[in-house]
Amino acid sequence: MTEPLLQVRQLEVVYNRVATAIQGVSLDVPEGEIVALVGTNGAGKTTTLRAISGFLPSEDVAITDGTITLRGERINGRIPHQLAKAGIILVPEREKVFATLSVQDNLAFAAREDGAITIDRIHGYFPRLRERSSQLAGYLSGGEKQTLAIGMALLCRPTLLLIDELSLGLAPIAIKELMGRLRQISRELRLTVLLVEQNARAALSIADHGYVMESGRIVFSGKADELLSHPDVREFYLGGAGQAENKSYRDIKQYRRKRRWWG
Amino acid sequence: MEFVATVIILTCTYALLAAGIVILYKAGRVVNFAHGEIAIVGGYVFYSSGLMTGSPWLAVVGAVAFSIVTGAFIYVAMMRRVVGEPFYVAILITVGIAIVLKAAIIVIWRAEQVTIDVGVAPAIRLAGGATLSYMDLASIVLTIAFFVALYLFFTFTRLGVQFRGTAENALLASQRGVNVNLVLSLAWIIAVAAATLSGVLYGGRAFLGSASVTIGLAGLTAALVGGLDSLRGAVVGAFIVALAQYLTVRLIDPVLSEALPFLILLVVMSVRPWGLFGTVEELDRV
Amino acid sequence: MARAGTNLRTSYLESNEVLRRPYQKLLIALILAAALMLPFASSDYFMHLINLCFLACIGALGLMILTGFCGQISLGHAAFLAIGAFTTVILTVHVKMPFLVVVPAAAVSGAIVGFLVGLPSLRFRGVYLAISTLAMHYAIVFLCTTYQANFGASASAGITIADPVIGSLRLRGEHAWYYFLLVLVTLFTAGCVNLVRTRPGRAWMAIRDRDIAAEALGINLTRYKLAAFMLSAMLASVSGSLAAYYSNVVTVEGYTLDLAVIYVAMIIVGGMGSVLGGLLGAIFITLLPYAIDSLFEFLPRAWRFGSTVFGVQVGAVGVCIILFLLFEPKGLAEIWRRTETYFDRWPFRYRPLDTTRR
Repeated sequence: MTEPLLQVRQLEVVYNRVATAIQGVSLDVPEGEIVALVGTNGAGKTTTLRAISGFLPSEDVAITDGTITLRGERINGRIPHQLAKAGIILVPEREKVFATLSVQDNLAFAAREDGAITIDRIHGYFPRLRERSSQLAGYLSGGEKQTLAIGMALLCRPTLLLIDELSLGLAPIAIKELMGRLRQISRELRLTVLLVEQNARAALSIADHGYVMESGRIVFSGKADELLSHPDVREFYLGGAGQAENKSYRDIKQYRRKRRWWG
Repeated sequence: MEFVATVIILTCTYALLAAGIVILYKAGRVVNFAHGEIAIVGGYVFYSSGLMTGSPWLAVVGAVAFSIVTGAFIYVAMMRRVVGEPFYVAILITVGIAIVLKAAIIVIWRAEQVTIDVGVAPAIRLAGGATLSYMDLASIVLTIAFFVALYLFFTFTRLGVQFRGTAENALLASQRGVNVNLVLSLAWIIAVAAATLSGVLYGGRAFLGSASVTIGLAGLTAALVGGLDSLRGAVVGAFIVALAQYLTVRLIDPVLSEALPFLILLVVMSVRPWGLFGTVEELDRV
Repeated sequence: MARAGTNLRTSYLESNEVLRRPYQKLLIALILAAALMLPFASSDYFMHLINLCFLACIGALGLMILTGFCGQISLGHAAFLAIGAFTTVILTVHVKMPFLVVVPAAAVSGAIVGFLVGLPSLRFRGVYLAISTLAMHYAIVFLCTTYQANFGASASAGITIADPVIGSLRLRGEHAWYYFLLVLVTLFTAGCVNLVRTRPGRAWMAIRDRDIAAEALGINLTRYKLAAFMLSAMLASVSGSLAAYYSNVVTVEGYTLDLAVIYVAMIIVGGMGSVLGGLLGAIFITLLPYAIDSLFEFLPRAWRFGSTVFGVQVGAVGVCIILFLLFEPKGLAEIWRRTETYFDRWPFRYRPLDTTRR
């Protein structure tokens, strides 16, 4: 088993020295795979991504424990610019494009001179961007902004692509399209992706492996299809598929059960 | 005709200052209260380097070196450390810098009034009886060249695009591989260079002394009138302030012309605080 | 009732106490006693320096309330001082009012001007507010300049004012002024401390930290912002008025933007957001030029020529501003607090219940 591209061990992040956002988080992202990190609001998924990418928002947030290693090399606490050079690119949840620059300028911003990936190729993946080249990025629709953000990220030649809430604000059909496109890109470029999502179904549908986070800890992990069919995951994150027939008392009691993984 | 010539030249001085202020505001949301002092000290450095070596070209080198060193130093040693702090911290640091520079003028140059003498060749006569010395011509040409260069830089070069992106969202820029520290240092260097140029030109037409630092306030007014984040506005604002000052001196009262920028400020603040071309934004954004 | 240790309070009343630990009461008593005895052991020159510090303290308290507590950046403090001085001039020279009427009148005129200068704060925050106050400064100084120019030929070196008279006593001489100012500064300090630890203070601090949230909590921004401006201007005006009486001469040239910056330096160096900081900062910045002067005595003679000393005095204020902002943003008051806390916790390094590692 080859060493995973990204290894996070026992990560702990504390806000303002008093509020522990995540604790004991360990995950592996194997090279070339898509890994999904799902969970509800406030579970700590975004904090995890930010800790990995150096994108921690202010002075008073600190990684107080744990290690993050990229191909065996420890990368805790480097500044975003250095991590970008190492190939870790984050597509953040908000403010993911430069709104006052045109689409073309946004892409040019991120493009490398020695570009393995060219702007043309990005236009190939997302033809809408070519149409909207000279428009200010601030005026794009949500889905278009998302594709622009991904395009910019790809132009930076990422080794590991971190995406925060890809599906936020998008219509279901757009989500499906985008997720599919993402999988296609990942396969073509042999790109490793860590996808953080509230929309567990969408994320797990394209992922190879998944982790479930809750209250700052990883509570479950497994192959994506295992997770999709796991009864607890289905109950808590996927809307409890097709149990309308079995309405016996014993089954309803299931809802009062403490979450299995705390047991 | 002389009226036109004087106003245009004054506009050039203020426009260069205002441009520097706008660049710094766009890049780091910092309003630089030390801009006038930087301009005058830059002028003095030019004068002294020229005097010491006897060669005008070395004076230019001196001024350029001053711009690079001062701009980089201010950013790296001071401004970089206060990123994320409340807005007034950066502003008050520039106020501190202004005081230190003023002290430098007193200590190093004994606040002597000097004029930069570039060998006044026969002046050019224009229609209407106005005369333009070479210094005046140089002022106009250099200012235009500077603004054109700035425009080309920001619009067409890769570094210029990175500049604009960093100005909007430094964290995102950093995550996309831009060395934000380098970009912001460059912003400060360019701003200081613009101020130095302005100081040199002013020193050539008028004089450099500890009282000259008031041009900084005129430049700040020009930037505010035009809009703190608009380079186009900087030029327009400079013109308005220059024109108003000239008219005040000529038609009303020379003494009032010192305080005039602030009357203009009061009016602008009451009517349209974000200036003519500035983005209508929340007025307290850092 | 058992005390739950020196750090822990068990009621709101307790947590609002000014002097929390026994030794602090002793310290204050000692300071006051020393202050009362000081004149007997001091020269006129030393008294003069202390008096200057006192005058600065009063002005600094005003600015501390406005900027340190309420968060409104103001570069117009010199204008408020000027208002106090010129009100004094007008009332003593033209209307011949006595001292005990003039000073309160100066406070009133300060309040009025403070109200006017404070009006933009309802519309702007941040840089734009600072610039508005700057514009106001110039407007007011312009008015004062015009007044002085029209005063007559004798005014070119400044307008003279007679010594203040209270009842049958003439306030003259450094020692007399010392006691008078000591009482005033003590009263004003106590007043400010009380203001700050009760509702107005909390409202101001809420406005400073996030005024939108403060408004959402029901704090009337208009009332409190204007109150801060008015109070600040009143204190500055009183300071300006007393300074006018103290030096017996008033000239508008003294009220420059640099003076406003010096007051801002006082509150930065002292530490924004504490009354103690205001006092410490005022004393520090006032004495700084004299300290530099003394320092130069030790240097070789050659260095002391011309304007070098003056230049260094000017520059020192700027350097202090920068250094404090970069390295000790909470100022001298924080240094005091750290020392206090160190001895208070000794031999422990952390407070009990301090669970986060540093």
